Amino acid sequence: MKLRTVIIISALSLAAFFLVNFASFRLPGPVPSGAAAGKKVWQAYNCVECHTLFGNGGYVGDDMTHVVRKMSPEEIMDYLVNPPVMRPNRRKHHPGVTEAEARDLVSYFQYLNTIPTLGWPPEPMRPGGNP
Amino acid sequence: MKLSQSVLGLLTGRRPGGAQPLDKGRMMGQVIARRYFLAAGMLFALQGIVALLGAADLVIPDFPSPVPFEFGRSVHLGLATLWPFIGSLGLVYYFVVEELDHDIFSVRLANWQFWLVLFSGLGIYGSLALRIGNGREYLEGMPVFYAGIAFSLALGAFNLYKTVASDRSRVTPAASVMAIGVFLLLVMVVPNIFHFNNPVADEGVKFWVVHLWEEMALELTTAGFVASFFKTTGMARPKDVEKWLYLEVSLTVVSALFGTGHHYFWIGYPAYWLVIGFAFSALQLVPAVFLVHMTYKGLKRRVSTGKREKLALWLILSSLLYHVLGAYSMGFIISVPWVNLYMHGTFLTSSHAHLAVFGALGFLVLGGSYYCLSRGIEPDRKSFRMGVLAVLALNLGLLVMAGSLLAGGLVQTYLWRVLGMDFMRVMALVQPYLALRLLGGGLFTLGDMLLGWQIFKVWKETRPRSAAPLPAD
Repeated sequence: MKLRTVIIISALSLAAFFLVNFASFRLPGPVPSGAAAGKKVWQAYNCVECHTLFGNGGYVGDDMTHVVRKMSPEEIMDYLVNPPVMRPNRRKHHPGVTEAEARDLVSYFQYLNTIPTLGWPPEPMRPGGNP
Repeated sequence: MKLSQSVLGLLTGRRPGGAQPLDKGRMMGQVIARRYFLAAGMLFALQGIVALLGAADLVIPDFPSPVPFEFGRSVHLGLATLWPFIGSLGLVYYFVVEELDHDIFSVRLANWQFWLVLFSGLGIYGSLALRIGNGREYLEGMPVFYAGIAFSLALGAFNLYKTVASDRSRVTPAASVMAIGVFLLLVMVVPNIFHFNNPVADEGVKFWVVHLWEEMALELTTAGFVASFFKTTGMARPKDVEKWLYLEVSLTVVSALFGTGHHYFWIGYPAYWLVIGFAFSALQLVPAVFLVHMTYKGLKRRVSTGKREKLALWLILSSLLYHVLGAYSMGFIISVPWVNLYMHGTFLTSSHAHLAVFGALGFLVLGGSYYCLSRGIEPDRKSFRMGVLAVLALNLGLLVMAGSLLAGGLVQTYLWRVLGMDFMRVMALVQPYLALRLLGGGLFTLGDMLLGWQIFKVWKETRPRSAAPLPAD
């Protein structure tokens, strides 16, 4: 095999990879402004280091992709604006945000909930947690 | 003189037709590479401490840390990515000029690149310690610093292209593969400078660095180093290296690119990525088998080596072990969609990440850094023992860390995903595994400090003084 062959194979593979990616991550419509603002809040507070989105991130906190299925917007807002102590700590609280930031975050979570994740996370085989 | 020539001359420090210094054993490309090795070694030592503090924060309630966990973890991840990257750039400069037997095109550009990379890297850690970041996992620093890294890679890619192209009759597979690797590093980081409102695109593009830097671009730069090392130590004949390197590289590029698909399973990408990701992750095993075969043949040749080569070889063999077991075999198992559906987002992924990032790549960069920096000297008995102890502690520490995360991840998968127990209740139940990980981390950090010290020591001992040439092999 020659260098030229390696370069041609690599260039063609790169081009194909980028094309399929662009086709794959295109959304049906623009991201709502509230959700876009919420994504910025998510990034500014570095939330991904403790929580996962789509299963990617830190594993200390629960996954947030479908959090709106477990908690109401009011519950999420309350949790974020009046952050509780994080178990098993006795003094350390969950980071808090302003009310406007919490609202944007809720919009972001609501938007994330609409993205199809091909059945992830799976439904538990034995719901209820009893072995 | 044309204007373009004048500008190029000003930027690169070269006069048209001006000869570059050529002194085997002290080529400027290799002198500059030493800075990369030292920086990588020191950042590696720092990473051990930061990671240990983070692991302690997870198991000790109200752990008094000046930097909150979420930013401390960012520094750890940033360091874990950047020190092998910096070390790999050193390997590229060192072995490209060694392979071509002529010096780097522009010493000035190589110098600028080094300082720009270092400034950008330190900027990321400094700003994160001050709680300023961009909140994208593994790319937590402010975009301006990644722009700095991209610009430095552009300088490096240009410099390497001019170096390789200046005498095409001398081009070797190892040199060209390393240069291609640097170009691919640049291509993959550029899109990550920008902000994406689209969360699906944001996740997808992130893996162009998180997955493709390590499993494609840096795989190429380090493959060039391994090829050079095998040739120099007599473990492989140059003809054999030339025969497999281009084939291995082509397979690596294709399989790594589309193998990224295993990160795309659940992030909003279409379902055909389940097939693409799984199939190409399986293909990623093939280049690893090539490498194992080549090493096995080399070891069978029983080439007599000194203590310096032995230490480097043990680090390289450690990397090979984790390449096969941690990166590719475990990576392949968890890329089976039905398996991934349950284990994704648990400590199992973390176990794989430790084995793949440090195990496969880190050991290789450390082996290369030590080998190049210690050129011309043999470690005395005490240094050799310290080096052996470091290799053992790093291996044992990594195995304990990855093993406890694997066991904790399996428990977590069963209780949380299969039984549907509450997340926080499961977290409380996996605490013993995280405590064991902390112990492994302590052992790892000990090895980390010992090897960091050895790297600093050989750098100091072989530091070129005035006009005296570096010791030759």
